Amino acid sequence: MIVAEQKSLEEIKSLVGNAEKVLVVGCGTCVTVCFAGGAREAAIVSASLRMSSKLDGNPKEVTDVTVQRQCEWEYLDEIAAQVEAVDVVLSLGCGIGVQAIAEHFPNTWVVPGLNTTFLGLPTEQGTWVERCAACGDCLLGLTGGICPIARCSKSLLNGPCGGSIDGHCEIDDEIPCGWQLIYDRLNSKGKLDMLMDIQPPKNWSTSRDGGPRKIVREDLRLNEKEESGS
Amino acid sequence: MPGDCHYLEGNTNARRRVNHLQDLLEKIGLEKERVRMFNLSAAMAGQFVEMANEMTEQIKVLGPNPLRNSQKESEE
Amino acid sequence: MTEEKLQIVAYCCEYCAYAAADLAGGLRMQYPPEIRIVMLPCTGKMDILLALQALEEGADGVMVAG
Repeated sequence: MIVAEQKSLEEIKSLVGNAEKVLVVGCGTCVTVCFAGGAREAAIVSASLRMSSKLDGNPKEVTDVTVQRQCEWEYLDEIAAQVEAVDVVLSLGCGIGVQAIAEHFPNTWVVPGLNTTFLGLPTEQGTWVERCAACGDCLLGLTGGICPIARCSKSLLNGPCGGSIDGHCEIDDEIPCGWQLIYDRLNSKGKLDMLMDIQPPKNWSTSRDGGPRKIVREDLRLNEKEESGS
Repeated sequence: MPGDCHYLEGNTNARRRVNHLQDLLEKIGLEKERVRMFNLSAAMAGQFVEMANEMTEQIKVLGPNPLRNSQKESEE
Repeated sequence: MTEEKLQIVAYCCEYCAYAAADLAGGLRMQYPPEIRIVMLPCTGKMDILLALQALEEGADGVMVAG
């Protein structure tokens, strides 16, 4: 899932600025399950803004609504009337949600209430860790299902660096060495010989190095010309 | 009492949540002392009364919730 | 509005604090009338939003007992 963290109330207040009518928009997908921007968090942020602005002497009219997914137009259509009725939209979606609102409602001023942090999972309740860097060229088949890009601080491809100490990363004792994890995993599967293959430099053009990425699936596109022609 | 909860961890979870709420209240601009967590067992009627008195005294010191007046005015 | 009465919402666990309050009542013990008891099945049910809403609506204090 996309993991995000709420911005401080102070920062949210400064982003909202002098707007009198605010709509807090939650998202029912990734940020709901990481407890950053779901319906419950939207209600809490909305109540906090109302209370805080009232105490500051300039009470704002703050309401909240949560859509199933902020990153799809059809879910945003549902809240079009509410969005148009306010001065600013505070999106509790990930960065994609904020941008989707900006793009779908060109007349609306939208600000982010979250910091979109990483792609990861909860290892236990209340703890999330990064697992994927979305590099666009998955290597997990070479490493026993542990990503050297996301989980090695240096994204090394051919074993650990000299900073791997007792299974931990030199960046931070709390971080397990990604390559130690890969070694242990391959060892337990009797596949250590896989590490004998030298990996050439990775093609980063599939990652951010290639600029903003795009996928077009001809089999899925709705092509008006073909539809009418056939 | 902590460790003696009917649902094992209900009251310890509640305490962490109360702490979080207190932090949030400070950011909002309300006194965090307006919210407090108390632990007691079913047999502690006397302690319940003590806690109720203590909380009431504390709130009297803080005075009415500043959000209340403006709310009532706007309703009228 | 006449004289302002303070209101304190007390979220009480059904199995301990609420039973203790009930016992206090049974023993005719006095506690301040400002305390308004709300019974919860467990204080673990106490949600930040619940208490925040009480304060937004004008409650002067919130106690969680369990």
